[in-house]
Amino acid sequence: MSTHTRQALVMIRTNLSSLPRRSAISASMALSVALVVCVLAGFLSMAKGFETALSGAGSPAVAVVLGGGTNQETGSDIPATVIRTLDAMTGDLGVARDAGGKLVSSREIVAPVDLSQRTMALRGMDAAGPSIRDGITISAGRIFTPGAREIVAGNRLAEEFGLQVGDTVRLGAVDWTVVGHFSAHGSAFESELWADLEAVRAAFDRQGQVQSLKLRLADPASLKRLQGALATITETPLVAVSEADLYAAQSGRTASLIRLFGWPVALLMAVGATAGALNTMTSSVSDRTVEIATVRALGFSRLSAFLGTWVEAVVLAGAGVFLGLLASWLIFNGWQASTIGANNARMAFQLAVTPDVLLTAGLLGLAIGILGGALPALAATRLPLTAALRARG
Amino acid sequence: MTQTPAPYIALSGVRKAYRIGGEMMPIFAGLDLAIPRGDFVAVMGPSGSGKSTLLNMLAGIDRPDAGTLSIGTSRLDQMGEAARSAWRAHNMGIVFQFYNLLPMLTAAENVELPLLLKPLSRKERRMRVEKVLDLVGLSGREKQYPAMMSGGQQQRIGIARAIVSDPGLLLCDEPTGDLDRKSADEVLDMLRFLNRELEKTIVMVTHDPQAALYARRTLHLDKGDFVEEKRAA
Ligand SMILES: Nc1ncnc2c1ncn2[C@@H]1O[C@H](COP(=O)(O)OP(=O)(O)OP(=O)(O)O)[C@@H](O)[C@H]1O
Ligand SMILES: [Mg+2]
Repeated sequence: MSTHTRQALVMIRTNLSSLPRRSAISASMALSVALVVCVLAGFLSMAKGFETALSGAGSPAVAVVLGGGTNQETGSDIPATVIRTLDAMTGDLGVARDAGGKLVSSREIVAPVDLSQRTMALRGMDAAGPSIRDGITISAGRIFTPGAREIVAGNRLAEEFGLQVGDTVRLGAVDWTVVGHFSAHGSAFESELWADLEAVRAAFDRQGQVQSLKLRLADPASLKRLQGALATITETPLVAVSEADLYAAQSGRTASLIRLFGWPVALLMAVGATAGALNTMTSSVSDRTVEIATVRALGFSRLSAFLGTWVEAVVLAGAGVFLGLLASWLIFNGWQASTIGANNARMAFQLAVTPDVLLTAGLLGLAIGILGGALPALAATRLPLTAALRARG
Repeated sequence: MTQTPAPYIALSGVRKAYRIGGEMMPIFAGLDLAIPRGDFVAVMGPSGSGKSTLLNMLAGIDRPDAGTLSIGTSRLDQMGEAARSAWRAHNMGIVFQFYNLLPMLTAAENVELPLLLKPLSRKERRMRVEKVLDLVGLSGREKQYPAMMSGGQQQRIGIARAIVSDPGLLLCDEPTGDLDRKSADEVLDMLRFLNRELEKTIVMVTHDPQAALYARRTLHLDKGDFVEEKRAA
């Protein structure tokens, strides 16, 4: 071990063991760092959780066709003639066909419904709807029967509203029976209610309407061929996107919004915490003036005085980071949040305190110590020795 | 070759002033001083006469504004802060009036501090610490903290720390200023022993005429100059 390392180590050790003399102000620095870390981790895990919920929802092997010049389900309308034309097309559309040669597709509409005074999405779909999607399993009961006023509820929604299989709920003007629950690996679909297309059309007076057409692609790369086929239909502008892209675009917007709001708040608080750290470390240096001057008089280097002080700041910030991350994890991880998602319906998701969230928030916390400690550490190296040694006399 | 060797410590035309308020207050306006190796000098004088300032310059903690200051072969007046810091680590030991022990370190750890600046193994350091603690009559107290010791014991730890790296020069600023007569005499006996037996050159600032009697000679500092010299019998 070099003499420089030994000097620095003993300075760091003596500083840290003198911390109890300054316990109040040191603890306040650690706590303010913890608070900043907690706030940033909260926002980031919210954005992360939102992304996770929506990214799970989309499959690259499912195409969503939207009509009327919009690229979201809300406001989209596909005329029945378009669907007939598409069905009549022979040849390779890039879409999977069933044994009878028909396109594997599901026509869908979404009706906003009130459930315990909150707006949720009721999706009407063809029988193929659930199976077209990836990763959907019926976790309780059974799927709805075509034509019947039956609904299956996403697991998260069912849990939140306490919907049991066999319950009756009033949606719109009519009663529906809950016949099953479905799981979608925690994705946004779990915040939806699913029912038969005709039943939803009838109950909400939307006969003949189709908002979106879901098609099972032969493989993800064949979306291009479908888009080519759609381009030959000219009566209304049609777009076909992969389900994955549709939800990614949506989640991207909202997640960026959350981050756009979260970062300035966290950074502003970090500036405050840095000022606090500066103050704490300045008082630490003045508390240790005689000790620093003494070892400097013995021949310790300026560098050791700098490192001793700086490391103390970083250790305090590190303690704050640890506390903040622990608190974030305990508080936020798995916390249910909700937002207005697609179709103006409420979408529930879980905050996700992932390693990269912890890393980012932790680094911000450490930066507070690194920046806030640097100036006082520099001051420790510039301590006028004669004055400091006189101070005791 | 000259018959009389150059003095160990030599100050010539040293000037030093401090800015107090807006004005420069001269402390020394051309101080000359020569101390041979192996001397034990007591420096006395009224408060504010510049005793500590002189000692700090000898310690390489403070710097003359002008003039030359050499100790051994080193020109302290020409060295920058880093060089003086390294010089301090290897050439002198310093004893403070208020001991200046680090309260969170044990006696042995306090004594070990100057050794951390040298390329010594842990074992070598421990042996040296034990040796000097024995020398100052405090062996067995390695693990004690300064707060548990009397003033006299703390100052002996301070002396142990000053001599542990075996420097030729020992600088003491009122080493007995905070001690009762009995503890003071123990500390002074020790300094005399270090001078007589281990041939340390010692410069000791003191207010106490009794303490000055332990030195080989006494310099009186007044109004920035030495006004009188008294040799011990
Ligand atoms: N760092 C400093 N800044 C400003 N003035 C100083 C500084 N150090 C010493 N002085 C002034 O220089 C003069 C000499 O101070 P010094 O400490 O050397 O005196 P002293 O002889 O040791 O006094 P005492 O017996 O009280 O310890 C005093 O007037 C003091 O106020
Ligand atoms: Mg003094």
